[in-house]
This record gives sequence, C-alpha cells and structure tokens, in this order.
Amino acid sequence: MKLFSIYILILFSFCAHGQDAQSLLNKVVNKMEGVTDYSANVQIIADIPLIKILPSNAKIYYKKPDKFKVVSKGIAILPKQGFTDMNAFLSSRDKYMVVFAGTKNIEGVETSLLTVIANDSDSEIILIKLWVDPLQVLIMASEITTRSSGNVKIDYKYNLQAKNGLPSNIKFTVDVKEFKMPKSFSSNPHKTSKSKGNKRKTGTIKLNISNYKVNQGIANSFFVK
Amino acid sequence: MLLKNTWNELIKILAKPRSYIGFGALTLLIGVILVAMKADGKSFISFVTASFEQTLSFNGEILNGNLMAFVILQMLIIHVPLLVALVTGDLVSGEAAMGTLRMMATKPISRSAILGSKLLAGAIYTFLLTLWMAFMAYGIGQWMFGAGDLIVLNNDGLVIIPADDIMWRYFYGFGLAYLSLLAVATMSICFSVFSDNSIGPIVSTMAVIILFTIIGSLDVSSFNSLQPFLLTTHMSSWRSLFEMPVPVDDILNSIYILLFHIIGFAAISFWRFNKKDINT
Repeated sequence: MKLFSIYILILFSFCAHGQDAQSLLNKVVNKMEGVTDYSANVQIIADIPLIKILPSNAKIYYKKPDKFKVVSKGIAILPKQGFTDMNAFLSSRDKYMVVFAGTKNIEGVETSLLTVIANDSDSEIILIKLWVDPLQVLIMASEITTRSSGNVKIDYKYNLQAKNGLPSNIKFTVDVKEFKMPKSFSSNPHKTSKSKGNKRKTGTIKLNISNYKVNQGIANSFFVK
Repeated sequence: MLLKNTWNELIKILAKPRSYIGFGALTLLIGVILVAMKADGKSFISFVTASFEQTLSFNGEILNGNLMAFVILQMLIIHVPLLVALVTGDLVSGEAAMGTLRMMATKPISRSAILGSKLLAGAIYTFLLTLWMAFMAYGIGQWMFGAGDLIVLNNDGLVIIPADDIMWRYFYGFGLAYLSLLAVATMSICFSVFSDNSIGPIVSTMAVIILFTIIGSLDVSSFNSLQPFLLTTHMSSWRSLFEMPVPVDDILNSIYILLFHIIGFAAISFWRFNKKDINT
C-alpha cells in the first residue's frame, strides 16, 4: 500500500509537471500567435568557419505561419533553421508533446527548461529544448535538433518588443560541415590549405534587430519570389 | 625612330587576319559563358554554396556581374596566353620566314630598335587583348547581371567581398593579368628570335605553358621547390587581390617574378637578335 502511494505520488508529480510544461508552452505559443506579421531591420554579424564576411544589413519580413523573406543589397547569411520553422512547429500543438526538464539561470533569469518532442517520426524537427522565462513568458534560449541540418542553438535578448515576444538580439550557434575545395578550382600561388587539426566545427551568427513594425499587414504576394 | 617603327609593327599586326582570332575567340568564349550562366547559373552557384546550404541560407543576388568577371578571368587566364602567342610568336620568325627581316636590317635602324619596336608592338597588342577581355568580362557581365557582393572560393573556404570594395580589385587584377600575358608575349618573342619559321615559337610557347601548368598543378613534393618560380604559377596571382586582407607582400613577390621573366626574356632576345646571322 505504501509502495502504491509513492508510485501514485510520483505519477501525479510527473503529470503536474507535464501540465505545467504544457500550460507554460501554451502561453509562449499564444504570445507568438499574437504576431501575425512583422518587418524589421537587421544587422547580421556572421563568424562562421570557412566563411569570411563583413557585417551586413538587411530587412526581414515574416508572416504567419511560415512566410519569411530577407531583402538585402548584398549577400546576407542566415541560419536555415530557427526563424519560421520553430514557430510553425510549435503552433501545431498536436504534432508534439512537451515535458518539463528542470530549471536554469540564464543571465540572472530563472528559466524553465521545456523539452518538446515531435510525435511524428518523419518530422524534420526532432526535438526542441526551450528555456523559458515563466514570469515574462519569453524564450531565453532554445536548441533545435533537426533531421537534416544538425543542431542549432539560439540565444535571445529582448528590448522594446518583449511584449510581443520578439527579440532585439539573436545569437545562432550552428554546425558547419568540413569543406574542401579542389585545387584546380581554387588555385592561388599564395595560399596553401591549412591543416585540419584545429578547425572549428561551429559558427555563430548574431542578429541585431531594430525598427520592428508589427501587425501592419504584409501581402502574401510580397513573399512570392 | 623606335616609335615610328613600333607604329609600323602595329600596322603589320593589324594587317594580319590571325591578329583578330584572339579578339574573336574571346568574344565568343565570354559570350558563351555569359549566356550559359544567364540560362543556368543557379546550378553553378549551388556548387559553390552546397557544402553550407544544409545549415545556412545565402540571401541576395549571388549570381552577379562581379562573380561573372571572376569566373571568366579564372577560366581564361590559362588559355588567353595561347591567343597572345599566336601573334607575338610570329613577330620575328614570321618576317624571317617571309624574307623581310633581312631587308629591315639593311635600313638605317639598329637591330635593338627593330626588336624593341616589335616588343613594344607585342606589348600594345597584349594590352588591347587584355582590355577587350576586361570589357567583355566585367563590362558586359555588369550589364547582363548587374552589380553585387562577390563570393570567392579559395582553399580556406568562401570570402564574401562587398560590392563597393570590388572595382579596385578588378583594376589591379586585370593589371596583373596583363603583366602575366606580357611575360608570355616576351617569352614567345624570345623563342621567335631563335627561329626562322612561325609555327615553332607559337607551339613552343604553348608547350611551355602546358608543361608549367601541369607541373604547377601536380601535388608532388619534388615539384614544390620549383613551383614558386614558374611563370604559370604567378599567372593566378591576381586571385590574391580577392582575399581579405589582401596579401600585398605576396602579390609584390609575384610582380617581381613576372617582371624578372619579362626582363630576362627581353634581354635574351636582344642578345640573340644582335648576334643573329640573318640569312633569309
């Protein structure tokens, strides 16, 4: 009887945590869904192994659920995962289950770690870890594990648009595969390939986002290439 | 006298149909490349960025006039020397074969001035050919594809250069390409001095370029000490202008080696031409 009581207690505690996790995630998703579209200016600072690029400026446009467009004068490098795909995935509430997995202090904010697991075995997104500030209902960090693109870690900082859950600074940490150019294609007498020993495998892309224009309406035709 | 004779040499070059083969070939080759890229350039771009595209997305116009000029210069810098040699390899030996060299040597002009004027005329022809290549690759490329940031591939990965930081690189890049072609032109004139028929110097120049290119591209340790001194190795030195930061010392080293080749071939030519027994 005593053993059964402990079992019930543990099961209840898991269920309670599960419900807490689901309700916290629901709040986050509700906040996200309050934004139907936005545009913003973005400064992109990429530090990626094997790519040398100076900071660039671009304008980003988003429309629910997954429309996204980058307009830049020059070449702008952005991570493939982490913009629209996470929002779209989290908005489809029947496609995943969520569990509470602990707490973590991120820059003075006590966050709850929510682990979101895809129900569908063919889903591109396999797992998302979300570190959520439960008081302000803001995602402070996330880690997306995808089937084809590996892991993407994202850190968020908020400013004026915190009420809409839109960050002012995002730092992506992405995996980069090794890259070897054929000698005939990259022939340069002053360059020899460096040893593979200490090559970095991850890169960071920092976005400084400003001048948000939220829910002003963007036509679908704008996103057609 | 030297300048007047140089003008005469230029008129002789312009009078030969083979002098226009280079311009025609460049127009056709660059035209074909530009049209092909306009039609199917996206697949070429995906070859460049494919390794990164699983995790990163490249936004903006990658396929632009600046990339086209880079691709064309990369493709043609090894082949244009053959078009140059077709004309410059014939400058002395062609006249020897036709029997006009002997007549020229009887005129009141020194042998050094005769050869000097041929070298100058060869340099001017090479300059015009380089200028045409620059116009076709950069000018027509910009007109067809527009400007934009340049993605460059090198041994270490990708370098992305902003559009407003590119023009000066092409200015010096085509300058370096001209210096390489001038070295080839002087080499072929040097061979031409030693020969009494047109085919020999042209084929010899082609053979040297092919041989040096193969030696330069082979990853064999025994060639490593030889490669930094080969003419063909420094023909690709213009690529270093598209690095960030630009390796100025390395580029200067290439310029010195190319100038050494030019002066060396010219000196051998003068020495030989002044001693040459002109029988034809």
